[in-house]
This record gives sequence, structure tokens and C-alpha cells, in this order.
Amino acid sequence: MSRYIATRAIRGAHAIVGEAASMLDKALSEKGADTPVSFPNTAYYLPLILGMTGREITKVGDLQSVVEQAKGLLHPVPPDRRWTPYLGETLDSGMATLLAEETIMALRFIYGLQPELMPGFALAGGTAFTSPDNGSGPSADGHLNGPIDDIQLRSWGIQLVDGRMPGFAAIVGCAKTNEVAVKIVRELQRRNILTFLSGNVNGRSIIHQLKEEGVELGYDTYTVPFGTDTESAIYALGFAVRSALTFGGMKGGQARNILLYNKNRVFAFVLALGEVDDLKYATAAGAINFGFPVIADTIIPEILPTGVTTYEHVVSMPFNEIEGADDLERAERLVQKCIEIRGVKVRVTEVPVPVPYGSAFEGEVVRKTDMRVEFGGKHSRAFEYLLMADLDEIEDGKIELVGPAFDDVPDQGAMDLGIIVKVAGRKMEKDFEPVLERQIHYFVNGASGIQHIGQRDIAWIRISHAAAEKGFNVKHFGEILHARFHAEFGSIVDKVQVTILTEPALHAEWLAKARQAYEERNVRIGSMTDESVDTFYSCTLCQSFAPNHVCMISPERLGLCGAYNWLDCKASYQINPTGPNQPIKKQTNLDPVKGYYSGVNEFALSASHQQVQEVSMYSIMENPMTACGCFECIAMVIPETNGIMVLSREDTSMSPAGMTFSTLAGMAGGGLQTPGIMGHGKFYILSPKFISADGGFKRVVWMSSILKEQMAEQLKEVAIREGDPDLIEKIADERVCTDVEGLVAYLAEKNHPAPNMPPIF
Amino acid sequence: MTVEIPIEKWAAKVREVTLGATAAQGGTRTRTVTVGGEGTLPFLSHEGSLPHSPALALEVRDRKPDDWSPLLYRAWGEAMDDPGDWAKAAEAAGADLIYLVFSSTMADGRPNTGENARSVVRKVLGATGLPLAVIGPGQAELDNELIVPAAEEAKGERVMLGICEDKNYRTIVASAMANDHLVQSKTPMDVNLSKQLVILIHDMGMPLERIIMDPTTGALGYGIEYGYSVMERLRLAALQGDTMTQQPMLVNPGEEAWKVKESKVGEGVPAVWGDWERRALAWESVTATTLLLSGADVLILRHPETLKRIRSVLDGLRAPA
Repeated sequence: MSRYIATRAIRGAHAIVGEAASMLDKALSEKGADTPVSFPNTAYYLPLILGMTGREITKVGDLQSVVEQAKGLLHPVPPDRRWTPYLGETLDSGMATLLAEETIMALRFIYGLQPELMPGFALAGGTAFTSPDNGSGPSADGHLNGPIDDIQLRSWGIQLVDGRMPGFAAIVGCAKTNEVAVKIVRELQRRNILTFLSGNVNGRSIIHQLKEEGVELGYDTYTVPFGTDTESAIYALGFAVRSALTFGGMKGGQARNILLYNKNRVFAFVLALGEVDDLKYATAAGAINFGFPVIADTIIPEILPTGVTTYEHVVSMPFNEIEGADDLERAERLVQKCIEIRGVKVRVTEVPVPVPYGSAFEGEVVRKTDMRVEFGGKHSRAFEYLLMADLDEIEDGKIELVGPAFDDVPDQGAMDLGIIVKVAGRKMEKDFEPVLERQIHYFVNGASGIQHIGQRDIAWIRISHAAAEKGFNVKHFGEILHARFHAEFGSIVDKVQVTILTEPALHAEWLAKARQAYEERNVRIGSMTDESVDTFYSCTLCQSFAPNHVCMISPERLGLCGAYNWLDCKASYQINPTGPNQPIKKQTNLDPVKGYYSGVNEFALSASHQQVQEVSMYSIMENPMTACGCFECIAMVIPETNGIMVLSREDTSMSPAGMTFSTLAGMAGGGLQTPGIMGHGKFYILSPKFISADGGFKRVVWMSSILKEQMAEQLKEVAIREGDPDLIEKIADERVCTDVEGLVAYLAEKNHPAPNMPPIF
Repeated sequence: MTVEIPIEKWAAKVREVTLGATAAQGGTRTRTVTVGGEGTLPFLSHEGSLPHSPALALEVRDRKPDDWSPLLYRAWGEAMDDPGDWAKAAEAAGADLIYLVFSSTMADGRPNTGENARSVVRKVLGATGLPLAVIGPGQAELDNELIVPAAEEAKGERVMLGICEDKNYRTIVASAMANDHLVQSKTPMDVNLSKQLVILIHDMGMPLERIIMDPTTGALGYGIEYGYSVMERLRLAALQGDTMTQQPMLVNPGEEAWKVKESKVGEGVPAVWGDWERRALAWESVTATTLLLSGADVLILRHPETLKRIRSVLDGLRAPA
């Protein structure tokens, strides 16, 4: 905690509590203790005081105890030479400040000083004041809004809770220029962020600035002017308290719960424009209690460590030092920064492309004759590369085309293309890059008239005549990716920037970079072992039809369907913490050979509804992992050979087990443990942990030829790893035999190692 | 010879959920309905406590529906012309609960409006003292547009708002929280999805005592065994102590049974199918009875005669041995 901020906040708190006390004394003597006090149109008394203290204030006399409590929260200003942490003291001072400010506003209502008068000002929808004392009558003219009424609270509250409104901004002070003030407000409105205005710098408020520029303020424009003094910012916190009382089911006095509710659910922040005085520091300290961070556009000490707020507490972004061509761009960046610091999520609901978009178009084929242009395939080279960037490094929604568009490409021609997606997010991890990159295929395919095949540097994209005629161009790939990454991966992605490359030199340069990254990723996933992590992941996606089956996914054993590896599950859990991929702590390694982990067993027992007691990760003979029905392969022991066969789903022929895949599938699936038979993913065959407890890959005596072909290169490497480079040749397939006699003879002829290995059971 | 009946001991029980609020509780209902609380499988009263009878609701629409079976028009008659009259008739027919469903359009074909939703809710609340469920037409945007004002109108009545689904639950949950209502959480026949949506709704701050889960069912002959098995597994998980499956279950056999050919169509079907009305009522009744046996706590029905039959099934099943 900055001593400077602590000093200023504590000093500010002393002053404002003192002011509240003297105002109260004055009101007690002039108006009497029994004079009623209230905010208009609310059932929550003085909401902040109600929420924080549980007191239901109805008359002036009730305020005495509030002021006493505020005084009790004050701490001495830290002396110059002492350097101790001041966070607790500062937060207390902040709370004292808020109690004092609400007291002051309540008293001002009695004196007819609230809502603040502003001659000539007209609200675009606002709280209805029927008291003639404030000089305005029931009309919305001639005064600022004052506190928000309960009806509006409920209407906005629902939108804040259901996410249509991402959060609220409390702006305090005065912007550099009128232009900047307008830009800031417009940027917030554009994102559906509710904006509350208060405060001033040397008498000039952002409210004056916006009024001069003719910006409509009021409920209708989601921009509410509270007052030109700092004290009126209390209405924003009263709003926050009432949100928790209304939507969080909390009662007055549950201060801790109310503050936590706001921290976790109300995405609000304070934007201090212009010089920050003691009272603003004190009020800001109050807001930090709610988990609302403070961003200032002037130089103030920062409080970057997190704790009370989700991310940084206080961030200074001196306006003139913000990068940008002009003040308007600086204003835009400032707003963007505020959003990042509070972790407000932006929602993009529509994919802005000139063709229909939806999953219905995913399987669409664009034939050569219907094609306007293609990227990749035989005549050109296309690649896609997604990489993680720092939050400050990229600009959300920026979509850039470097090089020519396809206008000059002849009809049905081809051109080189590179799609570079940079994503940034607080929860983004380097390991998620390939997981997200693979989504490009699905996202691009969703556009009608666009065909996408492949990935990485074998991507192949076609744009149809129909789509091109509707105005679809290469930049729209960027629009699609920006919208869809936000929509589907919003929990890990905060910013998406896309560069479409057609310029030859840059294309070549980035293709080389991408290839290097692909290689690094291959090595990374290839070098991950089950021993190198402490967490596996479950997958219960298939429980809808195999109710007791649960997949245990480790770095060296991917899901049996082949669709989920360990990294996918890790990302899936980040995106959807209540979803089908839950982390499983390995805990005690009970048997490193067979792969028994206490954490895995416990999880299996509960997720299989007490059906599966133990799971060995690496054995087909003892407590093998169960299967649903979507396995890519079935492994099954052939007793006569002392080995196993691996049958691919794509292989419809007879197998040496005397059954075809579809007959065997009934035995392997359904969530039952059947020693000697197991469903698994294709790539598990390549893993060093492939039935390693039973002797590993050397046990494979028969394998569907399609597997041999699809994974020829990798299998060669496995054979070398197993110390028998010719091993693949020694493994029979359906072209060699589909019966046991033939298989035994073939193994003897080829001298396959399995028959001479220790008995498999 | 005496036969020892084996008794299963369960670790946990289903959560109790109360619909409706009387004047003493801040509402205007003449009574409330509490469901759930089961400490064992359905109707095994010798084994554990079954404090509440499953509740039977009748579906009432905000206006006379365009596409219901002629048999239902005949059964309800003119009452269908006015949601208030319909609700009154449903109460007279013996319903525990009125399940009020908004249509997507109004009688003149224009899209339904929040204003209309408000006035229908007001009317139905005035016409009956039974607790209420207030349900949207099932199109996300329109649901939200109608349910938010309807929820406000019924503030304090502890109605059940619906339907919360995976893709659209936040607005309905928010308006239920703001107005002290309950919600119906519906997922397509999957134990984990049911559980997940309950978690998500609860994560928004909704107390579990205000969530009723709808695991979805099919009609007899149209997938009921799948739904049955999902409900059975949800209930077993609940009794075994999985807290997020311990919500009372609601299913809608009325809607399901009345959309299948066997009950909807009276002409051009084989003569061996027999009398149309008898068949249709049997379809709804057998569907509903089956669901009771799989653990349903709230059944939504359409025909008043079915309600009578299910009531008598319930009386029989719940009678002391």
C-alpha cells in the first residue's frame, strides 16, 4: 500500500467525517432529531448505511450513531517517518468516508440541496422528484439526477446480473477537454457500460463538459449525472449495495457478503479524471472496499498488487502519456484499460459478415466451379497461426489486411494467405494456443459459402462466387474470428487482433515463424509426461448415453474418442468450470507401473456412481479404463499369441478375435471394466504409456492396416523407441489374416517378440 | 413364514421447495405447495420419509391456443377464452398449481408483449388462490421480454418462473432473484447437464430452495424410458448425497402426451386403436403415472380428467399399507 495514498485517504476521511458531524449538529438543532430523512423512491432507507451497518435510518437523530461509527473507523494519519502497511487503515478510512458522504447527502435532501440544481439542464429520463422543495417540481428539468430509484435499479440490475450490461463506471472529476469527455462516455456507451458522473476539478465537472457538448444525460442514455461534487459519487456505491440486497438476497448489515458480492459479480470501476484531492482518495479507498479498482488519468502512486480487487487496485495512466495519435485515441485507450483492469467481459453476439453465419453451414463444400478464389490447396499456400500476446501489445477488434485483397486474382484463381490471430487475456496460457488455433477451422466454416479444410500450414480455404458477390472479403475472416473467440472463449480471451497477410515477403516470413511454433508445440506436447503434471482431467461428456463411464485424460493418454487431449481438457475447464472436464489431482501414486493414483480412483468411484472402484491408467489386464462407445480403436487380448490386437473403427473387416468392430464395441463400451478388452484413442498407441504395464507396444500382434497407413511415420519412431525398428513389419493386419491360426503362423514366421514375452495373464 | 423386507438406508434426501406465498408470507395465495423432501425412492414409504405428495399442475395459456387437440377444447370449453376463467376452472378441477404459459403471439397475430404478460398475470392471480408458475413461450428473447415484467407483477407471490435453459437462464434467474420467485431449470435428458444448470443458476446467487429441475421427458412410446432412466439416476444420485441433484423434479407429460399422433389424431388411424378420447386420456395418464414412479415431484397435465385419474393413482400409492 502506498503510504502517500494512505496518508491522503486518511486525511480526506478525517475531513469529511468532521464535516458530516458538524452538518448533523446543525441539522439536529435547526430541524430536530425527528425530522424524517430518506432518499427518494427507494425501499432501502439510506442504502449504503443499511448495507454496511444494518441501520434503517428514518430520521435525523438516527444519523448520530452512523457518524459515531464513521469516527470509530478513522485512524491517525501516518507520520512522515513511519513505513508500515496501511491497507487496513486505508480501507477503514474509505468506509468511514462513505458513511459520512451518505450522511451528508441525506442531510442535504432535508435542506433541499439535493438533487443538485443545475439551471437549464434537462434529464433524459431520471428519478422522479415530487417534492416541491427542490425547486424543480415533478419535472426532470433544472437539476441533476441524484440517487437512482428502485425501479431503475431493478431494470438495470437484471441486465447487470444476466450480463447484457457488462458493468458500470463511476467517473469522478473533469476530462482534459470537452471532446475527450464525450469520447470517453461514447466509448462506454458503445460497450453498454452504465456510466455514473460526479465530481469536479476546480469547479468544473465532466457533467458541465457533456452538457456543453449537448450530450443527453439520464436514464435513457445509460449515463447518469449524480452531482458535480465528489460526495455525490456515494450514489454509485448506494446503487452497488442495493444490487447486492436486491439480487444477492442479502440483508442489511451483511457488510462482508455485500462487498464480496460486488467484487465478484458487479463489474464496476472508478475513473478519476483530473487532479485527485484528499476527498477523492478517501472516496476511492471506499470503492476499493467493494473490489472496484480506481484508474486515474493523472500521475498518482499505483497499487498494483491484487488482493481486495480482482486485479490491480489503483492504476495511474497519465493522459498525455497514453499512446495515440490524438486525444480521442488516448481516450479510447483509457477506457479500454479500465475494462481490462476490472476484468469486464465484452460480448459480441453477432458475427458481422455479409453472408449468413451458423453451425448449419459448417459442412458446406464449395466446388471448383462455384469458387471465386481459393487459398491453399494445390496452387497456393495458406496457413493460420494463433499466438498469445500481452494485453498491452494488441488492440481488441483490430483487423488488418497486409497486402492486396483478391480483387485482382482471376476467377477460380488461387492466392497465398496467412491468418495471424493474436489473443490476449488474463487467463490465457501459452498452452492454449493450439487449442484455440484448431477452432479457426470451425469458426471460418460457419460462414455460408466458405469452405475450410485442414489447419496450420495445410489450411485450405475457398470463397464461393455467391459469398464474394455478397461482398465477403478476406478481412471478414478476421471479423468472424474476433466475434467467435469472444463468444466461445470469452473466459480466457479478453482481446483478439487479426492480421490477414497476402503480401509475399511478409507471408514467407510469418510462415517460417508459424512453422517454428508448430514444431515447438509438437515437441512440447510430445515431451509432456504423466509424471510431469500433478493433475489429470476427467471427461464425462458421454455420460448421457454411458451413465457410469468417465474418461481419465492424462498427458500421455488422450480421450478415447481422440477429440480431447490433456491440454484441451485444461482449456475446457478454464472456459467452463462446471463442465464435463474437471481437474483430478493425482495425489498418491499407488502403483507407478500399472498407473494407480489415489486421486484418480476416488474420482472414478464418485463419477461412475460407485460402479468403478479402481482404474489403472496403463493396463488392459487389470482394472482397465472404461469406455463409452465413441472410442477410435479397440484393443483386445488374443490369448493364443500372448499379445493384443488393435482394431480401428474405420476397419469393417473381420478380426482375429472372430468379431468385427461393431460386435466388439458392445463388449468394450457401456462403462464396464472388462479385463482384456479396452476402447482407446488412436494416438494412445504411440504413447510410451500404451498398456505399458502389460509390456507396451511390443504386445501388438495385429493392427488394422488403416492405422498403419495413417500413422506410418509415427509408428516407425515407436518401433525404434521399442528397440525393434522392424516391429511394424512383424505386426499382422487384415490383409495378412483375420483368424488366429493364420496370425500365430505369421508371428512365428516374422519372429514377433510377443509370443516370447512373459505371459500376459 | 415371515419375509424380511430389505430396507435401503440412504445418505441424503431431496430438497424441499415451496411454491406460492400466502398473505402472512407477503403474497396473496390461499395456500402454498411444498414438494420434495423424499428420503427414499418413490412411494417406498416403509423405507424412508416421503413428507409431501407430488403436486399436480394444470397448464393454462394466456389465450386459447391454436393447435391443441379438439379433445382439450371440448374438455375446457369457453373457459379457454379467458386465462382467468381457465385458471378458475383448473382450480375447480382439482389442480394444486396453475402452470401459466405465454403464447408467442397474441390472438391477433402480433408478437406477445410485456404489457400483455403483466395483465394476464394480474388476472390469473386475481382469479385463483393457487400458487402459480409463469412460463415463457420458449424463445429466448421473447421469454425474457415477457418474464421480466410478469415477474415484477407477481412480486412476493413466490411463483415459479421459466424456462431456464442452458442458453438462456440469466435474465430469468435475475428477475426471480429480484422479485423473490423460484425458477424451473430445464435440460435435455442428461444427468450431468441437469446438475450443471443447477450449479450455474445457484452460482448466480439463487438459493437451492428456489430451484425446481426439469430433466425433460418424452411421452409414452416416444422416449419415456430414456427420460425415466435419467430421472431415476438423478434421484439415486440425490439420495446418495450428490447435493446438486437434490432439487425436486418437474416434468410435463401433458405437453408431451398431447403432441403425439395417438392422442392428437382421431381420424385416419387404424380402427384397432379404438375410441379416440379413451386412448388420448390413457396416453396422458400412463405417461404421467410412469413419471410419478420415476420420481417426479410436479407433473404438468392438460386434461382435467387425467388430473382426476392421477389423483386417484396418487391416493392409492400413498395410502398406508
